[in-house]
Parts: sequence; structure tokens; C-alpha cells
Amino acid sequence: MMRTQDYEIPDELYYSKEHEWARLQGKYTVVGITDYAQKALHEIVYVETPVVGSKLKQTESMGVVESVKAVSDIFAPISGEVVEVNQALAESPELVNKDPYGAGWIAKILPANLKNDLKNLMNAQQYADHLRKLEEK
Amino acid sequence: MFGGCSLGQPARKTHLHGFHSSRGRMVSFAGFEMPMWYKGIIPEHMAVRNAVGIFDVTHMGRVLISGPEAEAFLDYVTTNNVAALPPLSAHYSTMCNELGGIKDDFILSRLEPKKFLIVPNAINRAKDYEWLVKQSQAFDVKIEDVSDNIAMFAVQGPKAEQTLQEICDEDLSKIPRFKGGWAKLAGVEVYVSRTGYTGEDGFELFVWNVPLSNPDKAIKVWSAVLEAGRDVGIEPCGLGARDTLRLEAGMCLYGNDIDENTTPLEAGLGFVVKFKKRNFIGKEALLKQKTEGLKRKRVGVRMLERGIPRPHHEVWKNEEKIGHVTSGTFSPILKRGIAMAYLSTEYAMESTTVDVRIRDKFVKGEVVRFPFYDVTQYGYRRET
Repeated sequence: MMRTQDYEIPDELYYSKEHEWARLQGKYTVVGITDYAQKALHEIVYVETPVVGSKLKQTESMGVVESVKAVSDIFAPISGEVVEVNQALAESPELVNKDPYGAGWIAKILPANLKNDLKNLMNAQQYADHLRKLEEK
Repeated sequence: MFGGCSLGQPARKTHLHGFHSSRGRMVSFAGFEMPMWYKGIIPEHMAVRNAVGIFDVTHMGRVLISGPEAEAFLDYVTTNNVAALPPLSAHYSTMCNELGGIKDDFILSRLEPKKFLIVPNAINRAKDYEWLVKQSQAFDVKIEDVSDNIAMFAVQGPKAEQTLQEICDEDLSKIPRFKGGWAKLAGVEVYVSRTGYTGEDGFELFVWNVPLSNPDKAIKVWSAVLEAGRDVGIEPCGLGARDTLRLEAGMCLYGNDIDENTTPLEAGLGFVVKFKKRNFIGKEALLKQKTEGLKRKRVGVRMLERGIPRPHHEVWKNEEKIGHVTSGTFSPILKRGIAMAYLSTEYAMESTTVDVRIRDKFVKGEVVRFPFYDVTQYGYRRET
């Protein structure tokens, strides 16, 4: 587990600049939003998950996370077909705040172009550096 | 997740800026650096509904209007009946342009027979002052922008009176809703007005003669209120909870729900437009609109399905666009989306079901009366 001063960054995940994470799990990839993202949004009250069966392209919007005040797109960290979404978020969107890398996952994707897509993502160390730069601004 | 962050202008600060920036998530609002929240919007919101919260609202304006013709002038420039307002009382009012469009909405207090206080919205401070000065040429009045010399706090919630009483030398139970009076709070001279913007019982405190360069008196009052409310669970509250509270209560936010392109009649604020007055700015236009009938009205929409309506979302009925959302949020009390919307008059009736277009989906909602919450359980009329 990497940590910046304020955020958890698990070692085994891949990260996008827009603060999504991707976890390789057998032939699937599970995606969600990072600890930084959930802390920035605070008090998540609604999550719009993608439709199962829909085909996503890397970086396109796959859903929405809303706090009381703010609406943020979730961008697909990898391309592929949505095979499952986290149904629990409909009743309990706060799971994204409580456990962003676990119970607060957003969707499970069957990747279409994983090897290439991963080149566009960061590892934990790179993402930690990315956050440090953002915090310095 | 996020787009770029905006580059802020040099921000103005209030007397409590040190407290806010060390404890809260700060945002820029109407040129001021203010707290969005400290602990979180929902816990702060619930503190006000269930106990008490304190807000720094010093970013709003304060304008004194005094002189022999102050009453006549205000009856001309605002829509409510100023002549009927006794000293140490307040009423809600609007100020319109000649076309009946709302220049601002505010609480107007009569401090003395010939001395009044208006509290403009933060975004309208300069505009209101200029308008008041411009319209006052024919009247014997003095208009002073005293915003920077008065700190203003709102103490709101069912435990507001009990909290303030602990540090107040006057009997606050003798001040009814929309009345006010001078008192010493924690030894500091304060004008106390039983008004607010949350739907709850509560007070607005005006700490007089406290320049930003010497904020001690303001800090003393703020700290004393927090201390006095500690046992009942007081929370300092930011602009986030201020917005969700006023929305649940059905109160307009200038710039969202009302502006110079909406009239008080369309906004459902006809109760502060007194057509029996001899003359006031906008009277002719408003009378014409009243006679001809309204094309659209402001209503409350409570979502029946999941989804949070936001400003500019379209409202549809029977495959026809019938209006749009001007404010929307997640209601911490109802635990669902709520909105204010302007709808074509024919659909602006309680219980009408509508579809709010949230991104690419149509989400069901229903037209409801304000406030959104059950008035027997929440708000100043609650059955305790």
C-alpha cells in the first residue's frame, strides 16, 4: 500500500489521471474511483453505474458520482464490455466513501484491449506523484 | 473524475476566516472565500433540523436607509408594505425593476421609526446599493453601505433560543418570529432578529461596529455561541448546508430561482407584493401580469425515482417540455432528490407527475407544495 500524506493507494492497481482505478481479476477488470476522488467529492449520495452489456471505450464517460453539491463523471479506465455493476450502490452509495477500493467498486469489465490500455494508466508510485503535483497547485 | 479547477479572484474574507480555513473546506462564493462545509453537509444539515447550527453570513450585504422619508422611499422601491412594519420588526420583501423583474429579495428590518436595514444577497451587494441610491434622488433619505462594519451570523434550529439564552442578557422568548431587539451577547452589543433561511426557528445576529481589521468582537460572539450550544450538539455550518436547508424549506436562491427575468408572482412570492400601495417600482407591470394570468410558476418537485435533479435540467410531461429546474439537490431529510422548477401554469399543480431529464434519462417526480418536509416534524411550526 502506497500512501501520500492523506490518501491510500493500493500497490496492485492501475490508475487514471481522472482518479479511477482498475484491478485485474482473472479475465476481468474491476474498476472504481480512488480514495482521493471520494475524499474530494465527500458524502456521495448517488452513483449512476453503466448498463450491463454496454461497450466502453477507454476515457469515455461510463457513469456519474454525485455528492450533495457536485456531479462528476466516471471515465472508463479501460475499454471493454460491462459484465456486472455494483448493485449495492443503488441503496448505499456511501460505500464509495467507506471502501473505495473494495465494497465501493463500480463495475466489472471484460477488457477489449487490455495490454494497450494499461500503457495509458499509472502504477501506484506514478499516481502518488500525480496526486502530490495536484496538491502542490 | 474531475475537470480543471478554476482560478480564483483575490478573495474577500470575513472576520471568522481563520476559523473557517482551519476547520472547513473552503470555496469561492460571490467573491468571498467561505466554508462549503466543516464536518460535512449532511451532519450540519441534520444539526440544524434536530438541534442548532451557526452560520457565518457576513458575506451578505447590510445597507442602512434612514431619514424623514425613509419609509416612503422603501415603500416605493420595495414591494412589501413598509408602512405596516413596526419598529424592531422585519419582513421578507423583493425589489423589482420597472418590468417587475426581481432585482433582489431580502429581509428588511425597521430598527427605529426612521431607520431601516436591508440585507442584500452577497452577489447583489454593489447592484442593490447603486439601485437604491439611484432611485432615492427624490427622497430625503440617507443610504449607507455598512456591510464591512457589521458581522452577521445565523443561529438556526429548534435549540437556537435555548443556546443563545445562555449568553444573552435579554429574555429571547419575548422576541417572536420576525421581531428583533438589542441585546448583549457574551457582553457584546448585538441586534438580534428572529429570522433565517432554513425553515427552522432561529436568529440572525448583527454584531455592530466590528471592522475586519479588528475582528475580536465577532470572534467572541461566534465562539461563545459554539460553547453555549456544545451540550445540545451545535455544529458550525457552511454554505452547503445553508443551500440544502433553504431548498428543503422552499426558499428562493437569488441567481438560481429568481433573477431580473422572473417576477415575484411567477416565483410564488405574491404575498410580498402589495398592490394596495399607491405606487412602487414594477407595480404596473406586475398588475398587468396578474390580470393577464401567469404563463409559468415556481413549484417544488420531489423525485419518485432515484436521481438528483440539478439546475437547467428540463422538465417534461407527455413528451412535451414544460419547464426547467432552477435548484436541485439531495434532501437529507427525505433522502431523495428534490428540486425547484418553473413549469407552465397548467402543470404547476400539486400531485402532477412529471419527468425530469437527468442527463439522458427521464426520471419521475411529482409536484409538491413547499416546504418539502413534514411541517409537524420539522421547521418552526413543528409540534414539539
